[in-house]
Amino acid sequence: MQEDSLAAVDTLTQAYSDQWSGTSGAEEAGAFVQFMSSNELIYVVLGVSLIIWLVLLVFLFRVDKKVAKLEDQIKTDKEV
Amino acid sequence: MKAWKYVVAVWMTIVITAGFLIHIPEIPILEQTARNIFFHVPMWMTMFTLFVISFWYSIKYLNEPADIFDVKASSAAAVGVTFGVCGLLTGSLWARFTWGSWWTFAEPKMNLAALALMIYVAYFVLRSAFDDRQKRAKLSAVYNIFAVTTIPFLLYVVPRQLTSLHPGADGNPAFSEITADVLRWILYPAFIGFIALGYWIYEIYVRYNKVKLEIENS
Repeated sequence: MQEDSLAAVDTLTQAYSDQWSGTSGAEEAGAFVQFMSSNELIYVVLGVSLIIWLVLLVFLFRVDKKVAKLEDQIKTDKEV
Repeated sequence: MKAWKYVVAVWMTIVITAGFLIHIPEIPILEQTARNIFFHVPMWMTMFTLFVISFWYSIKYLNEPADIFDVKASSAAAVGVTFGVCGLLTGSLWARFTWGSWWTFAEPKMNLAALALMIYVAYFVLRSAFDDRQKRAKLSAVYNIFAVTTIPFLLYVVPRQLTSLHPGADGNPAFSEITADVLRWILYPAFIGFIALGYWIYEIYVRYNKVKLEIENS
């Protein structure tokens, strides 16, 4: 059905591999960079996912508090 | 803010992290995407839970027509549909790189899941058709009870009897001996975490709709 195979989609590895230096020199770098560069870079994906999750979480907490504020406001308006 | 929400925040952070970090056995074709089970399947479990909540409050509304029951029923359905859309999108992406296609009409669970969501979209279309609040609440409660009864058939009974690429087809259990045992250690906590997260979002949405209702009434 789909004509494009995975290999055909991958235009990056060949074209840029010799120019990319993201993980080169990781051996001499600090512990954090060494850690992030290990295991086929899976920790980078984990980092991205955690950033998204934590930002959404902060947003959720903020909305929760804003609704609570509105509820309080309505309650005090009723009492007056 | 209630304490359980902080528990959910920490719990989910651990589940996501552990989902990436645990060692999983080599599975052909799936490879590392086997980890998707921790995120894709809980979307559906959360959707089911929210639809059951929605169903419950629709029954309560028909028993006793109070606005709050309608607010709870429609809020739960809305959050449930949102999780269902997440399930469809994550499933589609996963399918592209394992089954080889974004969408296939040969896969019953995929198509019936889309159909189930459309039944719930129709619930909101129906709601938007009424200006009278009582009429809207009553008719959509009746429709919602019909809608929820289709869910077990569309997502469990029918796809399990057919040939399917999803696990659990042809009358087999979904979690059979071919599925790696270690996946359960994250999958079940992920169910709990995502359902709690869905309930949290639902709770906020109910409170928002309640405030809206009070402003409309005043």
